Amino acid sequence: MGVEATAQPTGLVRARVAGFARRRFALWLLLPALVLTLGFYVLPTVGSYWLAFFDWDGLGPVGGFVGLDNFSRLLHDDSFLAAALHNVWIFVVLLVATNTVSLGLAMLIDRKFALRNVYRAIIFLPYVLSPLAIGFIWQVLLSPSIGILNPALDAVGLGGLQREWLADPGTALWVVIAALAWQWNALATVVFLAGLQSVPGELRDAARIDGARPARVLRDVTLPFLAPAFTTVNVLLAVFAFRAFDLVYVLTGPLGAPDGETLVMGTAVYTTAFPTGQFSSGASFSYAVAQGIFLTAVLGLAAFALLAFLGRREKRVL
Amino acid sequence: MSSEAARIPGTATAARRRRRLRAFGSSLSGQAVLAIACLAILAPCWFLFVGSFKSVEEFFASPFGLPASFAPTNYRGAWEEANIPTALVNSVVVTVASVLLGTAVSCLAAYAIARLRFRGAALVQLLIVSGLFVPTQVISIAVFIEMRQLGLLGTIWPLILMYATLGIPVGVIVLVGFFRAIPRELSEAAAIDGATPWRTFLDVILPLARAPMMTVAILNGVWIWNDYYLPLLFSTRAELQTLPLAILSFFGAYSTDYGLVFAGVVISAIPVVLVYVLMTRRFIAGVTAGSVKG
Repeated sequence: MGVEATAQPTGLVRARVAGFARRRFALWLLLPALVLTLGFYVLPTVGSYWLAFFDWDGLGPVGGFVGLDNFSRLLHDDSFLAAALHNVWIFVVLLVATNTVSLGLAMLIDRKFALRNVYRAIIFLPYVLSPLAIGFIWQVLLSPSIGILNPALDAVGLGGLQREWLADPGTALWVVIAALAWQWNALATVVFLAGLQSVPGELRDAARIDGARPARVLRDVTLPFLAPAFTTVNVLLAVFAFRAFDLVYVLTGPLGAPDGETLVMGTAVYTTAFPTGQFSSGASFSYAVAQGIFLTAVLGLAAFALLAFLGRREKRVL
Repeated sequence: MSSEAARIPGTATAARRRRRLRAFGSSLSGQAVLAIACLAILAPCWFLFVGSFKSVEEFFASPFGLPASFAPTNYRGAWEEANIPTALVNSVVVTVASVLLGTAVSCLAAYAIARLRFRGAALVQLLIVSGLFVPTQVISIAVFIEMRQLGLLGTIWPLILMYATLGIPVGVIVLVGFFRAIPRELSEAAAIDGATPWRTFLDVILPLARAPMMTVAILNGVWIWNDYYLPLLFSTRAELQTLPLAILSFFGAYSTDYGLVFAGVVISAIPVVLVYVLMTRRFIAGVTAGSVKG
């Protein structure tokens, strides 16, 4: 008893010392990541973002404070709003395709058969290919002179549908979306597949033995277990669709040819900050930053909404 | 197999036969759909591969037939014309260095955030993860100015530092999830045995973290290897080019000689595809880790 009484205060002191040491240890561990993050992400972000409230062309001295002018300019800039709308289109089409085609492919692979690992490896292949390679392939595939699609249409008697797919205002955006989908499907399918493999086999068997039809098993056993995979896939999709840049840039260039039909926010920001083509109206770096802030806000909003919606669903089903 | 059938012979076998028939039918159509999907993925890759052996005339004569010969003429041409030897070395150095640096610092930070209770841990995590939402194009001018101030322009350090930094958000997300899942008793037992926090981390926790660190390395390694945006900004001299940029500028110069350009694209894709083929399981396990809660 007496021993314990004397041991208690020293125990407390020791705990407090340990807490102090732990916090100092935590600081040391955080230090390298914080130095890099503060130095090469936070500092340049802050250093760029304040420029949105000033007038700066990117070269000379920074001009005067303009308040929210760059943001109101953005709301009246038809070509930028069109670019934002293209991002929304990309997001919506991929949202539908992902949760039907990719999910369906994952379900087809999630059965025991000899070639399943081969199929899985092939379906994931586009994930490791560079946007540059994918862009080249698609560009040449659809080129009117040496591509595949036009001769193929001709061969099946649909020669009337032939066109310059990437130059036609009616089809260019769809080609870009198709190329993005081709690349995106890899990750989506594999994440869905991992989700499916987390469904306990006994549970499905039990439901089947109890006489549940396949559709019922799917709805009441499989889909609830897939909830976390749905969240992951769709939030990552929002990041993919709204930050799209590399592949679009390779396919249709910084101006979103033809005539801005395939401009997305990523390429719009780049073109405003670093105007290259002869159609650009001169650099306005501070305006590009305002566009970038808008992009970040839209993406954050979409991701937050998806997390709130799918996260709640996740809690409900588990 | 036989217990069910033995009980109710006639009905059970009939039902099973019907079920097996239906399973065969659905799997047959399922196999067809999968085969078509794989064809849609492989056909463009095949087109790229056979195209890389064709001369300009062959391309126009038969765009999707086999080449006349598989002689590596285009490959030799691309290797010499596209600055590939230098770019290959740069790509390897930049990718390896930035992946090692980024994974190491993410690991340390993630352990602190996940396991060492301190005030502001959630805030630090939020700050780091928010990096995912900022488009690189916006911060690139400020980064450029900063690198000039640091005297790092004209070296490959801007690429290594930027890629390491941009890889931290993913690293922290994956590794925080992993460290949170390790039972606390493990580190507490080590502490009771008198190990310092540093020893506990190095000897007890780190060996367990090998697989998730591999995941982080793969996730970041793939996009760093394939990225051409930052090199566009910082590789101002030919000696600093990475593979994607070398191919991109090569494409600009030889845009009509498709065979030559395709050979360059194939060369740049070979290393990552090779690693992928050798480690398919690791890649797939990697990208799905943490995405699906057990």
